[in-house]
Amino acid sequence: MTRDEAKDILRRYRPGTADAEDPQIAAALALAQGDPDLAGWLEQQGARHSVIGRQFRQIAVPAGLKEQILSEHAAQQKTFLRRPRLVLAAAATIMLLGMLALLIFSSRKREDTLAVYQQQMVSVALRGYAMDLTTNAPAPIRAYLAQNHAPADFVLPAALQQAALTGCAVEGWQNSKVAMICFRTTAAGPSDLWLFVVARGAVPDAPANALPHFSRINRLTTATWTQGDKIYLLGTEADVRTLKQYL
Amino acid sequence: MADSLDFETLVADYYAPLYQFAFSLTRDEADSCDLVQQTFCIWAGKGHQLRDGSKVKTWLFTTLHREFLGTRRRQGRFPQVELDTATAQLPAVSPATVNRLDTAQLLRALAQLDEVFQAPVTLFYLQDCSYNEIADILEVPLGTVKSRLTRGLGRLHELLTGETKPKKL
Repeated sequence: MTRDEAKDILRRYRPGTADAEDPQIAAALALAQGDPDLAGWLEQQGARHSVIGRQFRQIAVPAGLKEQILSEHAAQQKTFLRRPRLVLAAAATIMLLGMLALLIFSSRKREDTLAVYQQQMVSVALRGYAMDLTTNAPAPIRAYLAQNHAPADFVLPAALQQAALTGCAVEGWQNSKVAMICFRTTAAGPSDLWLFVVARGAVPDAPANALPHFSRINRLTTATWTQGDKIYLLGTEADVRTLKQYL
Repeated sequence: MADSLDFETLVADYYAPLYQFAFSLTRDEADSCDLVQQTFCIWAGKGHQLRDGSKVKTWLFTTLHREFLGTRRRQGRFPQVELDTATAQLPAVSPATVNRLDTAQLLRALAQLDEVFQAPVTLFYLQDCSYNEIADILEVPLGTVKSRLTRGLGRLHELLTGETKPKKL
């Protein structure tokens, strides 16, 4: 190793540190021990390192940096601690909304009740419907209803069988088909009669009573009864006495 | 690991040398503060993954250096001045007056060093890091660290003293 090579190596030597354990430095130091010029250079080099190192360590650190770091950390910790609370709050809100929805749902009027069915069918009669089939013959009406999966094997009261048929239509109720059979009476004044027939299972709260129950719904006088597996609703704009003539 | 090390103690021990290292790299106070802050922020999130408590110092300096490199890549900041063009701007300090060197002169000289020399030279002086620690922090091989230190320190001393190392033939 030459003196210049030793100098190159010893440039990165810091006295009093583990640098001396580096094999190259150890060899260069050994050389310096027998070379006064190199030893002098090394001493000067050590002094420079000392000065430069001191200047590096004198780089002024802004006041408040430490506090800023700690403050930032504390704020992050708070945010972190708040998170579970936010999650809990969100969960509680969801539960509350769920309970509220359940409450609303359970308190809502059921859509498949007899009363709703009656209202809806009366509305069909009054709103100006179009008959799917216009005929005064019973057989085509039953055939059409059967073909369209509406109740076709209905049983008419004896008096109603005497009324003149005008046609039929198929209406919907929940997921069931409703047969709508239209008649015309011979009475003076309002003369239309509408009979709605639906499967009994479609109206869970329908009474099993075979006797007609009369009620006024909107502008119609209605009679409702159950027979077999079907529910019958007969309506007219005439009065109840007229209606009873067909039952 | 993060749990066993008190965050406040850790900050107290390392915020100053980390800032000095950052400032040596960026020469900008705000950027340096950001780097230090970010380093401790990362420690708060990931420090627990460090198994060996004796590596905390290396971990912190490595993280800061990575952040510095990442920020510089993203922002194109911390422009470096080419050594040859800058040498003329640097007032020489004679060997006799090196003891009167101030920090500003030192940082100006450091800034004239090729970029790859700046971090190892700073770590060499700042924290008395061993060569192995510097290699770990900068994530380069040990031999590279020694080579960069030799060249970087030589060039820094030349810039500060005006002495020129004889060229090898």
